[in-house]
Amino acid sequence: MSKRSMALAAVVVAALLAGLVVAGDAQTQDARLEAAKKEGKVVWYTSLVLPSAERVAKLFEAAYPGVKVEVHRTGSQRILQRVMQELQANIKNVDVVHTSDAGHFVLLKDKKLLAKYTPAGVDAFPAGFKDRDGYYYGLRATVNAITYNTKAMSAAEAPKTWKDLLDPKWKGKLVTAHPGYSGVIATHVLALVHLHGWDYFKALAENRVMIVQSANDPATVVSSGERIVAVNGGDYSAYQLKKKGNPIEIVYPKEGVPLVVSPTAITSFAPHPNAARLFTDFTFTRECQQVMADSEGLYTGHPEVTYPADKPKLNELKLLTVTPEELEKRNEELKKRFVEFFGA
Amino acid sequence: MDRSVAVWVFAALSLVVLMALPLGWLGWLSVSGEHGATLAHYRDVFTDLALRKALWNTVVLAFWVGLVSVALGAPLAWLTARTDIPGRGLIRGLVLASFVTPPFLGAFAWVMLAGPNAGILNTLWRSVTGSREPLLNIFTMPGLIFIVAIYTFPYVYIMVANTLALIASDLEEAAAILGAGRLTVARTVTLPMVLPALASGFILAVLQALALFGSPAILALPAGFHTVTTQIWSLFQFPPKVEQAAAFSIPLLLATALLLQVQKRVLGRRGYAAVGGKGGQRRTIPLGAWRFPALFACLAVMACAIFLPYGVLAKAAFARAWAQPLSRDNLTLGNFTFTFFEYGATRDAIVNTLELGVMTACVGAVMVAVLSYVTNRRLVVGHQLVAFLALAPVVVPGVVLAVGLFIAYTRPPFVLYGTLWILFLAYLTKEMPVGYAQADATFRAIPADLEDAGRVLGAGRLRILKEVTAPLAKSGIIAAWCFIFIGVIRELSASILLFTPSTKVMSVVIFDLKEEGQFGAISVLGLVMLGLTFATVALVQAALGRDVLGTRK
Amino acid sequence: MPGVILKSLSKRYGDVGAVDGLSLEVKPGELLALLGPSGCGKTTTLRLVAGFLAPEAGEIWVGDRCLSSPASVVPPERRRMAMIFQSYALWPHMTVAQNVAYGLRFKPGLSRGDREARVREMLRVVQLAGYERRYPGELSGGQQQRVAVARALVVEPEILLLDEPLSNLDANLREEMRFEIRRLHETFGNTTLYVTHDQGEAMVISDRIAVLKAGKVAQAGTADDLYHRPRTRFVAEFIGRTNVLDGVAVARDTVAHGHLRLRVATADLEPGARVALSIRPHQLRLGEPGAAAGGANAFRGTVRRAAFLGDSVDYEIAVADSDLVLRAAAAPTPRFEVGAAVGLRIEPAACVPLAESDPR
Ligand SMILES: Nc1ncnc2c1ncn2[C@@H]1O[C@H](COP(=O)(O)OP(=O)(O)OP(=O)(O)O)[C@@H](O)[C@H]1O
Ligand SMILES: [Mg+2]
Repeated sequence: MSKRSMALAAVVVAALLAGLVVAGDAQTQDARLEAAKKEGKVVWYTSLVLPSAERVAKLFEAAYPGVKVEVHRTGSQRILQRVMQELQANIKNVDVVHTSDAGHFVLLKDKKLLAKYTPAGVDAFPAGFKDRDGYYYGLRATVNAITYNTKAMSAAEAPKTWKDLLDPKWKGKLVTAHPGYSGVIATHVLALVHLHGWDYFKALAENRVMIVQSANDPATVVSSGERIVAVNGGDYSAYQLKKKGNPIEIVYPKEGVPLVVSPTAITSFAPHPNAARLFTDFTFTRECQQVMADSEGLYTGHPEVTYPADKPKLNELKLLTVTPEELEKRNEELKKRFVEFFGA
Repeated sequence: MDRSVAVWVFAALSLVVLMALPLGWLGWLSVSGEHGATLAHYRDVFTDLALRKALWNTVVLAFWVGLVSVALGAPLAWLTARTDIPGRGLIRGLVLASFVTPPFLGAFAWVMLAGPNAGILNTLWRSVTGSREPLLNIFTMPGLIFIVAIYTFPYVYIMVANTLALIASDLEEAAAILGAGRLTVARTVTLPMVLPALASGFILAVLQALALFGSPAILALPAGFHTVTTQIWSLFQFPPKVEQAAAFSIPLLLATALLLQVQKRVLGRRGYAAVGGKGGQRRTIPLGAWRFPALFACLAVMACAIFLPYGVLAKAAFARAWAQPLSRDNLTLGNFTFTFFEYGATRDAIVNTLELGVMTACVGAVMVAVLSYVTNRRLVVGHQLVAFLALAPVVVPGVVLAVGLFIAYTRPPFVLYGTLWILFLAYLTKEMPVGYAQADATFRAIPADLEDAGRVLGAGRLRILKEVTAPLAKSGIIAAWCFIFIGVIRELSASILLFTPSTKVMSVVIFDLKEEGQFGAISVLGLVMLGLTFATVALVQAALGRDVLGTRK
Repeated sequence: MPGVILKSLSKRYGDVGAVDGLSLEVKPGELLALLGPSGCGKTTTLRLVAGFLAPEAGEIWVGDRCLSSPASVVPPERRRMAMIFQSYALWPHMTVAQNVAYGLRFKPGLSRGDREARVREMLRVVQLAGYERRYPGELSGGQQQRVAVARALVVEPEILLLDEPLSNLDANLREEMRFEIRRLHETFGNTTLYVTHDQGEAMVISDRIAVLKAGKVAQAGTADDLYHRPRTRFVAEFIGRTNVLDGVAVARDTVAHGHLRLRVATADLEPGARVALSIRPHQLRLGEPGAAAGGANAFRGTVRRAAFLGDSVDYEIAVADSDLVLRAAAAPTPRFEVGAAVGLRIEPAACVPLAESDPR
C-alpha cells in the first residue's frame, strides 16, 4: 500500500516537473486536458495483467484528476474478438487497444480501425517498438520464460532449455497457457516453431500438459504447486509473484527467449479521442514506463528506464522475434495446430 | 374478445422478441451460405474431428451425470422421506444449498480442493500417506462428472422425495401382508412407483449437464477436452465462426426437446393420481443401528457439495496464497480491497448483476403472474397455447439461446448487443419457465370460486384481484420473483457470449478472473454471490412458509 | 322479491352443448331445485344466471330487468345475487367476520356499526356466534358451510344461488343442513335456485324441482307431480324407482305388452301408437294367486327374489306367460318366499303413460 502511494506521489511530482520543463507546450496541453476532462473518461481494453493495469489507471487518474480510466482486462485474443464483435453491432466503445499480439494491430490497421497517432517521446524507442506507418507503438515488452517451483526441485534439477521440457520425467507436471487466448503465448508458439518446428509442440503435448488461458496463469499455477514447471508465460507476472514471496524461480533458456512487444493504439472511432491521446502519452512517459519496469517487472522501449537488479537486461538475453505481419497471417494456423496437439 | 386480442398481441410480441427471432436467426444462419441455403456448415461441423469429439464428450458427461445424480439423489431422498435418520431437516437444507449453489463456483472451489498437485485434499493425502500420486484429479472426465453431479443430484432428490411423500405406506404394507419380504416390497411396489420420478429426475440431470458451460470450461479445458457448450463458445473467438456455432447448437436444441418429450411421457403414463392417495399415512422406517452410518454417508455427500467448497472459498478469500496454510502472515484482507476498491470492473458488475436481477425478476414476475392467471382462469381463447409458450424456453440451453440472441440482436432492426437489454432478454427467456411453473402452481391452488364468490356479492373484477387474489397469490409470486432473481445472478452460459466490457455481470467477471488465475478475488466475489443467493432463498422460505393457503391450521 | 325467467338459454363448450335451449321460470320467493345427473349442465345454468358466463342464445330476466342476452351481460357484481359454492369458497386470509361482512361493503348507506350488527345477527342465526375471529381453516366442515350461508344471506340478495352446497358434508350433517337451509329459506324468503344431483335432497328442500337432461329441462313441477306424473321415461327413472314397460296402445285407455293388457290412468291414447308405462314398485298389490283372478290389471307371477328392508320387502316378480319382470315393494306381512306363486294387481291410476319421448 505505502509503496504504491509513494510511487504515486513520485509520479505526480514528476508530472509537475515535466509540466514545468515543457512550459512552451503549456497552451496546447491545457486545451487538450480541458477537452479530455470534458470527455470524462478513456476506455482501455488491455491485456496487461489486471493488478498492473489497474495500477497504471490509478496513476493516470492521480495525474489528471477528472479523467477516469475504464479498464477492461482480458486476454489478447478476447480483446480482438470483443472489438470486432462490437463493431459488427456498430458499438463504439473502446478508445485505446492494447494487446500482446502484434498481429492484431496489422489486422486492425488494414481494416482502418486505428487512428494514426505518435505518442510524445517515442522517437527514442528501438525500431521493434514502432510501426513504420505510425499507427501503433510498443507500450511494454516481456519475454517468455520457464518458471519452476523451488519447493519441488533445486536449481540444478530445473529445466534449462525449451528442449529439456520434452523429457518424460515432466509428464503431468507441466502447464502451458493458450495461444487462442493470449497474444504472449501466440508469439511464443510462433517463435518456437521457427526455432524447433511444430514437432517440438507435438512432443511437448506427450507430457500431458495442463492448459490454462492467460499468459499470467502458468506462473500462478506453479506458485500454488498445482504444476511445478511452466513451459511458457510472460516473465513479468512470474517476477511479480516471486517478489511477493511465492516459491518460484525463472529460467531464461539459452536457445533464446521469445520477445513479445505489446503495442498500443488509439481506435479510429474512439469516442473519447482527447482523453485517449492524453492517456496514451501518459503511458509512454518515462515515469509510467519506469513504474512498469520497477513494480511490474516489464521491459520497455524507453531508453532512460532502469531495471531491477535481479532481472536480466534485455541485451543480455538472446531474443527471438517474430514480425507482426507473420503473426497476423499465421494466427489461425497457430491456434488450430495447438488445439490439435493439446486437445482444447 | 378485445381482452383476448390484447393478451394475444402481448404474448405474440414477447414470443417473437424472446424466442422466434433468436431461434429463427439461429436456424437460418446455420443453413445460410454465400449463395443461398446450404448444409455446408453442418458438414463442416460434423466432419471436424475435434467437434465430433466434443459432441461425444458431452454425451458421456451428460449420461454419467444422470447416473451419478440418481445414485446420490435417490437414496438421500428415501432416507429423508421415509426413515428415522437423524437430522432430516439439516440434510434437506443442505440439499437445497447445493441446489442453489452456482455450479461454476463449485467447480472452481474444487480446483483448489482436488487439483492433482496443489489441491488441498491431495496435499493432505500425500503428507498423510507419503504417496506420490494424487488422491483425486479433478481435471479429468470423471472429475468433471463428479463436480457436475454433486450440484445436479438435487433434481433427482426433489422428484423422488416428493413422490415418496405421496406414496402411502398402506400400499407397501398391503404387499407385506400378502407375504412379501422387505426387499421384495421395495422391488415390486416402491421402486415401480418411484420409477417415473427416478427416470424423470435422471432426464432433468442429463439436461442440466448438457446445457452447463461453467464447469466444463473450468475443468475440461485445462484437461484438454471440449464439450459442446465450450466448443460453441470457442467458435466465437476471432475470427468468429458464427454459422458453425449455429449449426453446432442445433443438435443440443434437438436433444433437449427430445429428452423433455421423453420425460413428459414417462411422467404421464403411470398416472400420479394413483400415487396421490391422500388418506394413507406414511410411517417412518426405523434404521436401527444404521441410523448414524446413514447420517454420515449423507453428510459425506454434502461435504463434497457444500462444506469443503465453501470452506476453501472462504479460506482463499482471506489468504495471500490459497494453497498455503492460513498462518498469520498468509492472512490478508487484500483480496477484498482489491476486489471492491481497486478492480474497477467489480463494482460495475455487481451493480449490473443486481440491476438485471431486480429488473428481470420484477418484469418476469409480473409477466408470469399475468400469463398464469390468464391461463388458469381461461380468460382468453387458446390459453393452452399461452401456457405452452411460456414453458417453451425450457428446451433452449443457455448457450444456444445466447447464440440466437447474439445473431438476432447484433444486426438491425434491433441492435441490442452492447446494452444490458440483450442480457435482460436472455435472462427473461431463460427464467420464464421456472417463474411460470411457480406462478401457475400458485394460481392453481387458488380456486376460481374464491373470486366468483366475491363477484356475486358485488365486488368488481379489479377489486377482487386486489382483495382476494393478490393477498392469496402474494407469497407464491414473491417466490417466483426470488426464483427468477436467483437464476439471474448465477447465470453464466448465456452471459458469456452476450456481455461486452461495459455490460459485465458477476459471473462473467468471475470467469474472467479465473482465466487469469486470480483466485483470491474470485473467492471474494463467489462469497458475495452465495450471500446474495442465500438471502434470497431465506426470503422465499419466509414468503412460502407463512400465510400460504392451507398452512394456517 | 322478483322471480327469475330463463328463456331458451344456450351455452356451448366446443362441441358440447352444456346448456341447450333451456327455459325455466322461478317464481318470486320460490326455492327451485335444479336436479339432474352429472354433466347435464346444472352448474353451467347457475353460472349463466350469476353472470359468469354469457349465453350464446336466449335471455335471463329478473323481474323486469334483462340481465343476460347474447348482446349484453350485466356483470355478476351488479346482479344483486348471492351464491353458495360447493367448495364454500371462503377466503382463507379473512376471518369469519370479515368473510361475512365482505358483501356489505357494497351496500350503500350502511355504517360500520350497522354492518357489524348485521354480521353478528347473521352469525347468531346460523349458530356461529363467538366464531367471529376464527379463520376458515380453523372451522369444521359444517361450520364452514354455515359461514358460507351467512355470507350469502347477510346481503339480503334478491336471488340466492346454491351449487351442491351440501355435497362436501357427511351424511348426518347433510341431513341436518337440509332442514337448516329450508328453515332459513322460510325465514328470509329469497328467490332461490338450488343445484343438486341428489333427488332426496331436492325433494326435502324445494318448492319445485326442474329435472335437467342434456342441457334442457326434462320436466319441472312439485316433487309430487314429478313422482306421480312423470312425463318422460328419464324423469320417471330419475325420481324414485320405477318399472317401465314398453307396449302398444290397443284402445284409448289400454296398453298391450305381449299377451298382457293394462288399463291406464288416462283415456287419450292413440290406438296403435307405441307407449311406455311407469309403474312405481309400491303401487303393485301382491296377494295369494287365487285372489288376483279377474278384474282389470290382475296377473299371476312367481317370486324370483326377495330382500327384507325392515319396513318393507323388495320383490322381483316374473309375470306369468310374459318376459316381464317387475319390482314390487310390499309390507313385510304377508311374506312370500322365493319361488312362491303370487297374484298381483295394479290400479289403472298407477299406470302412468310416458307420453313424450325423451329429448335425445
Ligand atoms: N369450462 C368448460 N370447458 C369445457 N367444457 C365444460 C366446461 N365446463 C363444463 N363443461 C362441460 O359442459 C357440460 C355441463 O357441465 P356442468 O358443469 O354444467 O355440469 P353439472 O350438471 O354441473 O355436472 P356435475 O353434477 O358433475 O357438477 C359437461 O359436459 C362438461 O364437461
Ligand atoms: Mg356442477
